[in-house]
Order: sequence, then C-alpha cells, then structure tokens
Amino acid sequence: MASDPQSAANQRIVEDLVSRLRRRQLVGSRATALETLLVLRQVVSKTRFSNLDQLVNVIQSVGRRLVEAQPKEHSVGNTVRKVLHHIREEYHTASEQPIVESSFSIAKFVLQGQPRKQATIPRSETRVPLKENDSNDPDSFARVLKPVLMEAIQDVFDELETVYDNISKNAKDHIHSDEIILTLGMSRTVQSFLKSAAHYRNYTVIVAETAPSYGGREMAASLSSAGISTFLVPDSSIYALMSRVNKVILGAHAILANGGMFATSGSLLAATAARSYSTPVVVCAGQFKLTPLWNLYHEYGALDFGDPNAVLGFEEGDLVNKVDVVNPYYDYVRPELLDVFITNYGDHPPSSIYRLLKETYDDEDNEL
Amino acid sequence: MADFQIYQSYQRLLKNEDLSTPLAAILALTEMMKQSNAGTMFELLNELKGNAEALSRHSSNPIGLNAGCELFIEFITLFPHDAASFSELKTELIRQGQQYAGQALAYRAKIAELAFDFIKDDSILTHSYSRVVLQTLLMAHKRKRISVFVTEARPRGMGIKTAEMLMAAGIPCTVVLDSAVAYAIDKVDFVLMGSEAVVESGGLVNAVGSNQIAIIAKAANKPFYALAESYKFHRMFPLSQYDLPSHNPGVLSFPQTPSARAHPASSGLSSESSSILSDNGSPIKITQEDIARNNPDVDYTRPDLISLVFSDVGSLTPEGVSQYLVGMFAG
Repeated sequence: MASDPQSAANQRIVEDLVSRLRRRQLVGSRATALETLLVLRQVVSKTRFSNLDQLVNVIQSVGRRLVEAQPKEHSVGNTVRKVLHHIREEYHTASEQPIVESSFSIAKFVLQGQPRKQATIPRSETRVPLKENDSNDPDSFARVLKPVLMEAIQDVFDELETVYDNISKNAKDHIHSDEIILTLGMSRTVQSFLKSAAHYRNYTVIVAETAPSYGGREMAASLSSAGISTFLVPDSSIYALMSRVNKVILGAHAILANGGMFATSGSLLAATAARSYSTPVVVCAGQFKLTPLWNLYHEYGALDFGDPNAVLGFEEGDLVNKVDVVNPYYDYVRPELLDVFITNYGDHPPSSIYRLLKETYDDEDNEL
Repeated sequence: MADFQIYQSYQRLLKNEDLSTPLAAILALTEMMKQSNAGTMFELLNELKGNAEALSRHSSNPIGLNAGCELFIEFITLFPHDAASFSELKTELIRQGQQYAGQALAYRAKIAELAFDFIKDDSILTHSYSRVVLQTLLMAHKRKRISVFVTEARPRGMGIKTAEMLMAAGIPCTVVLDSAVAYAIDKVDFVLMGSEAVVESGGLVNAVGSNQIAIIAKAANKPFYALAESYKFHRMFPLSQYDLPSHNPGVLSFPQTPSARAHPASSGLSSESSSILSDNGSPIKITQEDIARNNPDVDYTRPDLISLVFSDVGSLTPEGVSQYLVGMFAG
C-alpha cells in the first residue's frame, strides 16, 4: 500500500492534519470539521478502490487516526461519520438496488416498523452500470462513483460554510424586543445568532467574561460594535443577575446522544442558575456538533484541560509548587438543564437528539 | 385449541429458564397454529386473537405475554407474502415465530454490551430478579470491579435468588430490604432495573417496588437505567398504577373483619401477634400469604424517573420507545 504514490500522498496530508490537531494548532469544532472534510475529500479522490468496502475501510482508518490525534475534538469524528453515511447512501442510489426487503422478519418489523409499499419509480436516466470487483477493469467502480461522492462531500462542505447563517435564520423568533439575554464565552454561533436578531429587535445582552479564557470580553466587544446594548459582568455575578434575565443563550462544543452537551466552562453554572429561576436555556449549535456517544460524562477525563498558566501563572512561583491547578475547558451540562437546541436542521428538545443522530449517521460508525 | 391447552403449553414453555413471557407466548401461539385447521387468514387471525385472550385471562400478570402476543399478531397481519397456498404461508409464519424466539435469546448479550459502556467500578442497586440484569452484571464483573445491592423484592423474594447467583459468581453483593432502599441509596452509583414491559410513554412495568426505587433514585440524583428486550415494548399508555391490566379490585382492598364491621375505628393496624382478639373473641392473624394476596405483583414507573432504556435496538431515551411502537402498530 505504502509503495503506491497516491496512498503516500494520502498518508502525508493525513499526517499533517494529525500533527496539527495534536499540537493544538488547530482548535475549535468548526475549524476541525472543515479541515477533516478537506482531508477526506483528498483521500476519496486519490484512493483506488474497486468496491464499497475498500473505500469505507480507507475512510475509517483515516478517521480513526484523526480521532486518536485529538479525541476531545468530537467534530472530527462526526465529520468522518457523516461522510461515511453519505458514501453509503450514494452507493445505494447508484447501484440501483433499492434495499429490497426480501426477508421480512419479526426482528426487522420491530426495528423498522410496518413494511412500506415499495414505490418502484422506474428510473428514466440511463446510468452506467455500477460493477463491483470488475477484474478486467478494477477502476470502473471508482470511476462511476467518485463524481457523485465528490458532490456529496461538497454538500457537506456547503453545509458547514453556511451553518451560522442557517442557525441565525430564525433568531428573531427566539429573541423578543426588550428582552435581557445572558450569554458567556466566545461562540461564533451565538455571536451571529445575536447579531442577526439585532436587525429586527432591540434587546440587551449580558455577557459573563468567562475567566480564565476571557472569551466573554471578546464577545462583548463584538456585540457592542454591532450596536447591541451589551453589559460585561464578572462570572461570579451570574446568579445574582439571573432574576432579571429572560433567556440564557449558550454555545456548545459537542452535543451528546442523551441531549446533554459539553460547553465552555461556566455553562453549567449559568444553566444551573437559570434552572433555579426557571429561565429558559437555549443552545445554538451546528449539526456537526452532534456526537453519537452516550457515556462520555462518566469519565472525568472526558473533559479537556487547558493551560493552568491562565489560572495561576508562574510569577506566583511560591504557590505553584504547593497547589494543583486545573483549568478545564468544558463543562458537561445535563439534558435536564437545557430547553432547546437550535441547529441548522431546526429546533429540537434534548430528548429527541438521539433521533437526529440516527438520521445523520449510520449506527455501525458510532465506534470508528 | 381449547383455552386450557394453550395455557398449558405456555406454562410448559416457561419452564425453560431462558424464555421470558413474551417469547413463551409467541411460541405457544406457533404451537397453536400448527394444530389449527383454519383455512383463511381471517380465520387464523380470529383464532390467534381468541387464544391470546385466553392466555391473558388465565394468567395473573398478563402484561408481558400480551406484549408478545400483540407483536406476533400484528406481524402476521402485515406479513407481505406471495405464498401459493395458505398452508404454505402458515408454515412460513410458524417458522418466522420460532426463528424470532431463537434470535431473541441473543438480545440479552447485546443489551449487556450496551449497558456495559455505562458501568465503571461502581456499586449498583438492582431489584428483584431479571435475567438481562444478571447477565449484564456477570459480564461487567469480568472486566470491572462492581459491587451490587439487591433488594429483597417482597412478596416473592426473588432478590434473594439474584443475590445467590451473584455471590456464586464472586460478585460482592448484599441483600437490602425493600424498606431500606432510601437508606442505601447514597452508597449506590446507579440503579439497574429489568422489566416486564416498557410502555408507550417510555415508562416501565416491573416487579412491585420498582416505582419507589425510581422515586428515591430521582430524589438522590442517581441515574436509573432500565434494561428491556425490544419484544417487551408494549402498546399501552397507563396514566396511573391502576390502569395496568394486572390491577383488580382485590388489590389493596380492605378485608372484612368482624371488628371492622362493628367498630371501624378500632381495627388494629399492628396485628402481628396472634394474641390480639377482635370484639367477638375470634383471634385476628395476618399471614404473609394474606399480605401477598392483597398486594400488586407489578407497578408502573413514570418515564420522567428513568434516565435511559437499554434495548437491543439501541440505548434509548424513554421517549424513544414510542417511536418503535408507533412504527409497528400505527401507520
């Protein structure tokens, strides 16, 4: 395999992304998703394959390497799963074999529900027949399938490019005039959501500064420059201010199958405070953040830890030896504390996230 | 087939330790089909429904077997076929039923695998006896350090059987009184519960006591996981305990005692000892059997108390169960 110049080129671009992920030169769920997609596009276009399994295997092994490089960036794995899902879908349409329910059994009945009347639409287009494992011309399979796959990947790409606009589309329906919104951290999704609502509504945003990253300061600066009345407050005052807040809007790092999420540290504090005042908590996130995992929150290690220097710098040399300093990037927020997820695929309550996941990914890819 | 015959074959099938009630019901129905001389689908379905009803009438706790019967009958109704003759179709349907019962035995291993991901080196509370819970615990024991609290689960005391089997496998395990669950809950990391049936709301029907454990787990903020094979999904929407088919007027009724008739207020509550006499001199004695007779076998746990349902079709939120039921029974 390695002697093949094309797969060597594949190796190179994969290794490049792996090292950038590992060194944290590339962070943020959307950025990593985009880069992953670029790599997968390269891989699909350069790989030689003569049947579906070969292609899926190649993508899976690339995906595994990328995920292992930075397991906390869940959007990497999600993008790989999504591409695999599209590949299978395109293959099934291209092979003109609608998955016939030739063997109907009780197990299938439970899983898929009532047998549907098969609407057999006669295909008018004439297609090049898709032949797997053609020994005379092993590339014929790839030749037919590659263009459609590239198109499918381009669709995923376009979706990622427009994700902020699509989430912000209905912002004015969620934010009303004269409301007071609380948010924290620097989330591009939330930022564009709030800015888009500002075109239609007059409202106030309270931004918690979100120590120690102080993403909130950046957010506040950006919002006020867009003409939104903005207050920057210390994190410690979140609870005190909550009685005046109409809505909490948060970003997410990853959304889990049970409807919980990982989000910037401080989100759990805000969500818990909101719960005690029965203030609704709204989460804005792109669909690529949906992660088909249930049990991450069991692991303390599932949280990502940042540079302790931001909490206690080395100038405090005397103390550094005597205390353990941790700086977790993310909080796990339980589904009970959240009210709605606003995604580019519409609005969903936490309890139906698992369904969205079933539609987006294939079950067999949950473990890459 | 006569009423008692199907019930007898159902009882005989249940002797197999691995068969749960829904599967035994499906197999009993296939046995009935073998003997049936129905000539049309309509006749066959009528016969099936009649027998399913007979089964449910004879059984004191028909919830599990109802789930199995309904699944099988609905499947037969919707079975797409191009069989040349009716007898051929019938053979095929019987084969399907038996094949499913065979496959379904592997579901417990699948569920154990799913639930395993949620188990760390934990202490776990479970209730009564459930084959799928037992299998999950035994599997977890091989790779994790778990310890288990098992409730006694009166009146049948099936928890003791669970505890014995766990101890035999070398799992640290102790039996907890049903009344001591609230005392024990702080030592527990999560609750693992088997089920008789999972209903459309996502709620759980299981050995009596499950509901109070769920309420206590919720109050203590501990996860409550239910394990259920997908053939236990049951199209029913109970709104309270008394909507379950196992409820009858005898449950929690007030027995007529001579003293109660004379002076309703003076009927002693704590009549444990036999020396207490009623007004007319006859001794009042309450035996364990009396209590059991007067109490429910199963109770219903609301979906909001359940964290997740592990099933062979995947880990589901309680709401997720209804999706499968709607897929099968409405369309």
